[in-house]
Amino acid sequence: MYIYLPIAEVSMHIGIIIGLGGGVGFLSGLFGVGGGFLMTPLLIFFGIPPAVAVSTEANQIVASSVSGVLAHMRRGNVDFKMGAILMAGGMIGSTLGVALFSFLRDIGQIDLVIQLSYVVFLGIIGALMLTESLRTIIRSRTPGAARGKLHQHNWLHGLPLKMRFRRSKLYISALLPLAIGAFVGILAAIMGVGGGFIMVPAMIYLLGMPTSVVVGTSLFQIIFVTANVTLLQSIQTQTVDFLLAGLLLFGAVVGAQFGSRAGALLRGEQLRGLLALLVLAVCVKIGYDLVVRPEDLLSVELVR
Amino acid sequence: MMYWQAAHRTVAPALIGLVMLLAGPAMAAPKQIVADLSDSRVDITSSYHGTELLLFGAYEGMPGDDIILVVQGPATDIIQRRKAKRAGIWVNVETKIWQEAPSFYHVFATDELSSIANEQALGNATVGPLSGGLSFTSGRDDSGNGHGGGTSASSGATIAGNPEQRNNLRRNMEANGLWQVLPSSIVTQQDMLFRASLSLPSNIPTGDYRVRVLHFRDGVALSERATDMNVRKAGLSALIFRFAHDYSALYGIFAIIFAVASGWLAAAAFRRK
Repeated sequence: MYIYLPIAEVSMHIGIIIGLGGGVGFLSGLFGVGGGFLMTPLLIFFGIPPAVAVSTEANQIVASSVSGVLAHMRRGNVDFKMGAILMAGGMIGSTLGVALFSFLRDIGQIDLVIQLSYVVFLGIIGALMLTESLRTIIRSRTPGAARGKLHQHNWLHGLPLKMRFRRSKLYISALLPLAIGAFVGILAAIMGVGGGFIMVPAMIYLLGMPTSVVVGTSLFQIIFVTANVTLLQSIQTQTVDFLLAGLLLFGAVVGAQFGSRAGALLRGEQLRGLLALLVLAVCVKIGYDLVVRPEDLLSVELVR
Repeated sequence: MMYWQAAHRTVAPALIGLVMLLAGPAMAAPKQIVADLSDSRVDITSSYHGTELLLFGAYEGMPGDDIILVVQGPATDIIQRRKAKRAGIWVNVETKIWQEAPSFYHVFATDELSSIANEQALGNATVGPLSGGLSFTSGRDDSGNGHGGGTSASSGATIAGNPEQRNNLRRNMEANGLWQVLPSSIVTQQDMLFRASLSLPSNIPTGDYRVRVLHFRDGVALSERATDMNVRKAGLSALIFRFAHDYSALYGIFAIIFAVASGWLAAAAFRRK
């Protein structure tokens, strides 16, 4: 059964949409990630216009982050103060990102910037995760190896506006989470992702937050950043496809449950290694598309 | 059209009467052609995945005559971009904006177009998406030799497309299925009746369409008849589209509330298990 998506103006088989939601939902449950970095390229691959894919995915991530954050809140794994600062930065960043998105769309370079962002950021994060998980796996086999310092002091800790974050056991400048939030907000708006895959390592390695609160706090602020993107894209470009988001969501909710059950069967570093390979695979695929000569150098788009 | 509708109501006898009327005493008058569509309105609902329409009609024909049918969508600007390799990757470097080009153009015929009439005759009868003589304005163009000087001077000016540029546009529009020429897609009977099945694609643009039927003899268009068709979003898909465009802020807020509610519901539903 085909369903006509009113904003994307594309007719798609309903099985494909729910299957995409379910498949990406399974992986996001398995790895504990949002899955935007998989879903947005897949939607574009299946013929959804890039602008619609990015905005609609933002809308869907609102839902998956809400359902994810509730479990973390119950366990007290959300640092609301840190989340609020990250969110303030994220609001600024995502607002800038949406404006940048419209500008790039007008000059015909949005596809290129989306693809380049994916290649660069997925490449960096994937490579870091892979080396980290390989190192952990090797270290677990050589029991005597020394552990690195947990928390290092550098110039970042000399910035003004210091604040105490009790839940994270930190006393650092508010400018740092504000800047990280803003940077990830820009990327979230342009790439159609929640940005957890950048936010989480940034919280651990740049802010020095304890790993227990990292995922919950990241999800908490992603809700607001993606809600902001949804609202701004609705107003400025009318590219949020409510029907598509709803159907993806339906598949994703179910898929995530099975994914998180399957995830319990694997070890942490194995999961991270697999996720790293997945991230790198997406990076390589998109990079390959940029480098290989297109079938037709000319392309058209109707002005509506 | 009136003749045909009358015949439609009283079915077969009237149909024969109509054909006799057309082929009979009125020989001196301009050759008549009548046509009608099975449906003059195409609703794009949530279950829309392309549709088939039947176009049928009658004409005063002779053996060897041909019929050409043109389905033309609303005029629109078409952005055409050209990619080139820059620093190892393929980047859009040039933009043409084709002015007031047909967003949809399907041609059906009883034969190959080239064996029905020559290009000039087809052009005179405005058959073919390029027959209107399309022109474009040039957008940003940094395809120059790197120093850029002068390449942007043409920006804003309207330039008539040369045959090669127009054929490039045709190739792009045929690739996405919006422009199409389908030879030998009209069936005729006894040089009096014709019918064609129009299959409309799922990516059809919305708006007011014009369906023209032309009767060709010896490479010349004898007569022409036009009828209107409307393609529009309907039902749920129209509702969502209008909501998104007319109340866009409200739509965004609604989309967020829906997402928060369903995320919360999902968490609650799976927690109980």
